[in-house]
Amino acid sequence: MKAQTCFALVDCNNFYVSCERVFRPDLQDKPVGVLSNNDGCFVARSSEVKELGIKMGTPLFKVQDLVDSHGITLFSSNYALYADMSSRVMSTLESFAPRMEVYSIDEAFLDFSGMREDLVSYSQDIKKTVQRSTGIPVSVGIAPTKTLAKLANYAAKKWKKTQGVVDLSDPVRRDKLMQLTPVGEIWGIGSRTQQKLNAMGIHTAYDLAIQSPQAIQKQFNITVSKTVMELNGVSCIELEPISSDKQQIVCSRSFGQPLTSVADISQALSEYCTRAAEKLRGQHSKVHCISVFVRTNPFSRCDKQYGRSATLKLDVATQDTRVIVTTANTLLNHIYKAGYRYQKCGVQFSHLVPVSTPEQLILLDNQRAVLPKENPTLMAAIDKINRKFPKSISLGSALSKGVWQPKADQLSPHYTTCWNELMVVK
Amino acid sequence: MTASSQHTAILHTKAILIPSEDVPIEILAKHHVDKIWRPAIKLKKCPLPLFMGKVSAGFPSPADDYLEKTLDLNELLVQKHAATFFARAQGHSMNGAGIFPNDILVVDRSIEPVSGKVVICAIDGELTVKRLIMDNGQWKLQSENANYPDIMIYEEIDMVIWGVVTNVIHSL
Repeated sequence: MKAQTCFALVDCNNFYVSCERVFRPDLQDKPVGVLSNNDGCFVARSSEVKELGIKMGTPLFKVQDLVDSHGITLFSSNYALYADMSSRVMSTLESFAPRMEVYSIDEAFLDFSGMREDLVSYSQDIKKTVQRSTGIPVSVGIAPTKTLAKLANYAAKKWKKTQGVVDLSDPVRRDKLMQLTPVGEIWGIGSRTQQKLNAMGIHTAYDLAIQSPQAIQKQFNITVSKTVMELNGVSCIELEPISSDKQQIVCSRSFGQPLTSVADISQALSEYCTRAAEKLRGQHSKVHCISVFVRTNPFSRCDKQYGRSATLKLDVATQDTRVIVTTANTLLNHIYKAGYRYQKCGVQFSHLVPVSTPEQLILLDNQRAVLPKENPTLMAAIDKINRKFPKSISLGSALSKGVWQPKADQLSPHYTTCWNELMVVK
Repeated sequence: MTASSQHTAILHTKAILIPSEDVPIEILAKHHVDKIWRPAIKLKKCPLPLFMGKVSAGFPSPADDYLEKTLDLNELLVQKHAATFFARAQGHSMNGAGIFPNDILVVDRSIEPVSGKVVICAIDGELTVKRLIMDNGQWKLQSENANYPDIMIYEEIDMVIWGVVTNVIHSL
């Protein structure tokens, strides 16, 4: 028999809000919210904000009254800060287990299999160390499978009595919790699956756990049947310690205000291409397929609606920002139609290959005749400079400070990534 | 990119793309497109530069064997990267400890704040740098400047230690 597996899911509490609070101790115990790109919707809420009934994704304008009357402090998303704090949390966690999977910006699975420590007090230790070193509060869920570890973490967050650590190794405790948990809260159960399960009379996690995995596989798919097994303590989803490179890179954003001229959209698009190309080189890939899309604001009733995308497959894969920007702008000129108020554009790279992939021999190399010549040395130099002095070098077509830039009126300082924005102590 | 991929089209530009005639119909059908466009051929004369450089063939430096890595200030100033933050000092209350306005403080959050350490703490939500002292059973935050009073830490005071200052970076 396979040795008993054991996983811990460490999840940061209200991560973005917690990051802001580290440098603003005055906001401890006060209602704090973080807004999405363009300051549109809530993407993180402190517990005080959650108690006011403001849900994830709520547009700001719908709850402006609540924000004013309760004095909620709002922040624009400060991704540089969150990414830096995330890497601090992750590298602190690394020392606590032989294997770790960084699952998202604010969650990681640790492999506790075969560990002899008292796992609850060990996890309290983790919690204390992360809080002390980084200032970020975390919760820990411990269980024999990743799905149950997620559930344990949900419980650790939901019930204060747990002091942020829940161990579901005991099957009796597990069943009790599952009977209290709506099936939609289970990891991997999306809203559509949940509706179907509810229609079948399956409402709690426990209802799902007592189904036969075979029957579930027939009615749904292998993923849901794995969930059933995992809820029963049989580990089916393994730890993935190495972050697999992305097979697709997307960079798209809403504009700070509706744009009508192709020149303005082109400037924004060039900037997105530059960011996406940096990511591409960061993971040592080249891109074959470049897609561009534009659209108007679907929520605006008074505007005429339009949206289109276009894709071009390059003969020779590239990682050169200039090639990418030129191609993307060609595509943009094709799908752009005058007379609309555009709200968003974006670029998507697909069909990525490693840099080391040899090029197919092309008899008529048309691409090289019309596009800038690939220059990896130049790109590497630009990346190096931009890492040191963020966004200091960009193409002329992507000159920043355009009208397209998203609103970020409540942006906090880059406390950890910019010398000029360090926190001040008296 | 959500809805956009549904109406993705292979595109052409008058200026630089021309239809490619040699694509078999099956391939077009498979990709749900009616034409594939390729960049137009623009033949240009490209003179190839001729390089005539010298090949260096001198002696290797006798010091090559003794190359060591260069000194990195991070090694000196930062013990725990994940727990180390920088802060900017303001005011004169810690002049006696060598902390002046605009200095950069290296702060390690993982170090135990014991009596005698210079710490950053939040008093009523405001960040301040002081020396933490235990004196006759009473904790206090001591300034290092006679013009600034010490702060006694009574229970009712809202005080949180943020981190321990390990180094000061002072420009001359």
